[in-house]
Amino acid sequence: MDIQEENKIIKDFTSQEYKEGFVTDVEQVFVPKGLNEDIIRTISRLKEEPQWLLDFRLDAFRRWQKMPMPTWGHLDMPEIDFQDIIYYAAPKKDKDRPKEIDPELEKTFEKLGIPIREREALAGVVAVDAVFDSVSVATTFRKTLAEKGIIFCPFSEAVREHGDLVRKYLASVVPVGDNFYAALNSAVFSDGSFCYIPKGVKCPMDLSSYFRINASGTGQFERTLIVAEEGSSLSYMEGCTAPMRDENQLHAAVVEIVVEKDADVRYSTVQNWYPGDAMGRGGILNLVTKRGICKGEGAHLSWTQVETGSAITWKYPSTILKGDYSSSEFYSVAVTNNYQQADTGTKMIHIGRGTRSRIVSKGISAGHSQNSYRGLVKMLPGATGARNFSQCDSLLIGSDCGAHTFPDIQSANPDAVVEHEATTSKISEDQLFYCNQRGIDPEDAVGLIVNGYAKEVLSRLPMEFAVEAQKLLQVSLEGSVG
Amino acid sequence: MKEYRRIYVVDSPESLPEDHIVLGAGEKASVTFLVFPGVSVDIPVAVDFTGEGAEVSLRGIYVCKGGEKVNIRTDVRHNVPGCVSDQLVNGIAAGDAHVTFNGKIVVAHGAQKTQAYQSNHNVVLSASAKVDTKPQLEIYADDVKCSHGATVGSLNEDEQFYMRSRGIPEAEAKVLQMISFLAPVLDDIEDASRKEELSAKVEEAIRSIL
Repeated sequence: MDIQEENKIIKDFTSQEYKEGFVTDVEQVFVPKGLNEDIIRTISRLKEEPQWLLDFRLDAFRRWQKMPMPTWGHLDMPEIDFQDIIYYAAPKKDKDRPKEIDPELEKTFEKLGIPIREREALAGVVAVDAVFDSVSVATTFRKTLAEKGIIFCPFSEAVREHGDLVRKYLASVVPVGDNFYAALNSAVFSDGSFCYIPKGVKCPMDLSSYFRINASGTGQFERTLIVAEEGSSLSYMEGCTAPMRDENQLHAAVVEIVVEKDADVRYSTVQNWYPGDAMGRGGILNLVTKRGICKGEGAHLSWTQVETGSAITWKYPSTILKGDYSSSEFYSVAVTNNYQQADTGTKMIHIGRGTRSRIVSKGISAGHSQNSYRGLVKMLPGATGARNFSQCDSLLIGSDCGAHTFPDIQSANPDAVVEHEATTSKISEDQLFYCNQRGIDPEDAVGLIVNGYAKEVLSRLPMEFAVEAQKLLQVSLEGSVG
Repeated sequence: MKEYRRIYVVDSPESLPEDHIVLGAGEKASVTFLVFPGVSVDIPVAVDFTGEGAEVSLRGIYVCKGGEKVNIRTDVRHNVPGCVSDQLVNGIAAGDAHVTFNGKIVVAHGAQKTQAYQSNHNVVLSASAKVDTKPQLEIYADDVKCSHGATVGSLNEDEQFYMRSRGIPEAEAKVLQMISFLAPVLDDIEDASRKEELSAKVEEAIRSIL
């Protein structure tokens, strides 16, 4: 791609607002509004689930009812009426073509740039699981993957066909009662992806899940479970979008990752839920629990996230470093503009000897937004020789936004070393002047500087994602200067 | 114009009253506290800037060797533009001491040209000692320079090896390391004889925990 072409793409992007904000007109099946045991039974029945899973859901629901909504986040959270949400919405199956994908849905994903037909993608081959509201509509390359013994399928299907595996690992990393939203998810979760990499297998292509909220008045509660057996490796990507609406919509997901001895998992997210309009109306409430466990010796888990969307983000992808000499990384770019609020970070729990973790968080706030990093690094008495390094940088654009850092370091081992540093800065006038003077207009200059600032994280993303993320940064900051 | 200079030497078991410093335009304050072994104490220090161009410097040392519980809390509020705050708290936890540091910097909306710095460095000497640190930044203005850093770790073995290879006994090497770790905190004390006296007291405390 030459420079001119690249500039054209950036121009195209900066001149438009949230382009994924359209609604797909398909006939959908809903369960009635509200949340009670009958609704949970209905969801479980619609998904043809075994009894154990229904019991699991009901147990989670009973616990959730006793839990208070967490208020410790640095967030101005709107009142959520949990009885005013539709917990299950699925596009109707066409009776004449039960096996085929509704052309409307195909068009939707086509428009979003998600290939739900198998084809060569830009940077190679990517297998996709596309989730539309509460159900998975397509999963590609399953045959190719199955030849290697890899299971990659919608969660509901995994429950039916690999029940033992699901039962063994479900809630083993994020227990049912872990927190308010995880309990809610455990009670009402709809679809998501299940991924199992057998011993010693290197996954031949990137796997990816794409989540789309479409129906109004609904919430999305996806559940993803990834298991990487000894010596296996996997790169996993996750993306998401939603239509533009004046109401807030709830998205409460749970992601669990089990990494066995010497296995390597890379989990990348580009989160682009609808952020609300310039006045702060509407947008997705993104309240997510993501956690992985490095179970065996030498296991490695890496989180990379680019957070540009959502009215509210409450998300802390975490790693439990249980296996000796296991390691984990967390690379994050969180951008907030207008009235968006983000409270995001990570938890690194060091249990095993010689475990290592690294945290690099880059927050960018503009407009009237609030952007917080919140992180926990915990060294348990057994974590001899463990090491952590955290770096949290904040960039402020404009005088009405906020950037906050809330790290928590707990060390109970004399041989563990923890280092944390944080800085706050703004885009300096010198930098802007330098760009302007060379004919780059202020908005592009900000994009350029921000991309440079976030480079350390963006360079960790798989190629295709990195291109998308760079464009997203630019769009998200549109109108934040001048 | 007022100028505060306070030094708290905490060597007997008592709690400090909450120190709340309000600084008007151009005022300067310096607070140094030293917590010696055998004392469990809460140290709350709050600073409010109400006038432009004020400066505050907070310095703290702790040395714990038994079952002490030391809770240090700083709360620095930059309510107006153009003020400078600088915090440095270093300490050593041995025995089964439990030390917490809750440091907070708040830069209010409109408090431009603020400079706020905070460092907290901790050495954990024994398997049953614990250190929890929470250095927090809340910033609502863009034209500011703010940073914080926190570390928890042990004494550097390479440094010890260097000294031992030059004939300094291991215990003495550790003492030297700890002195050099804590000494910068005392730099704020202007009165030379007072500084000398406190440095000697710190050295004595360090020797007592080995």
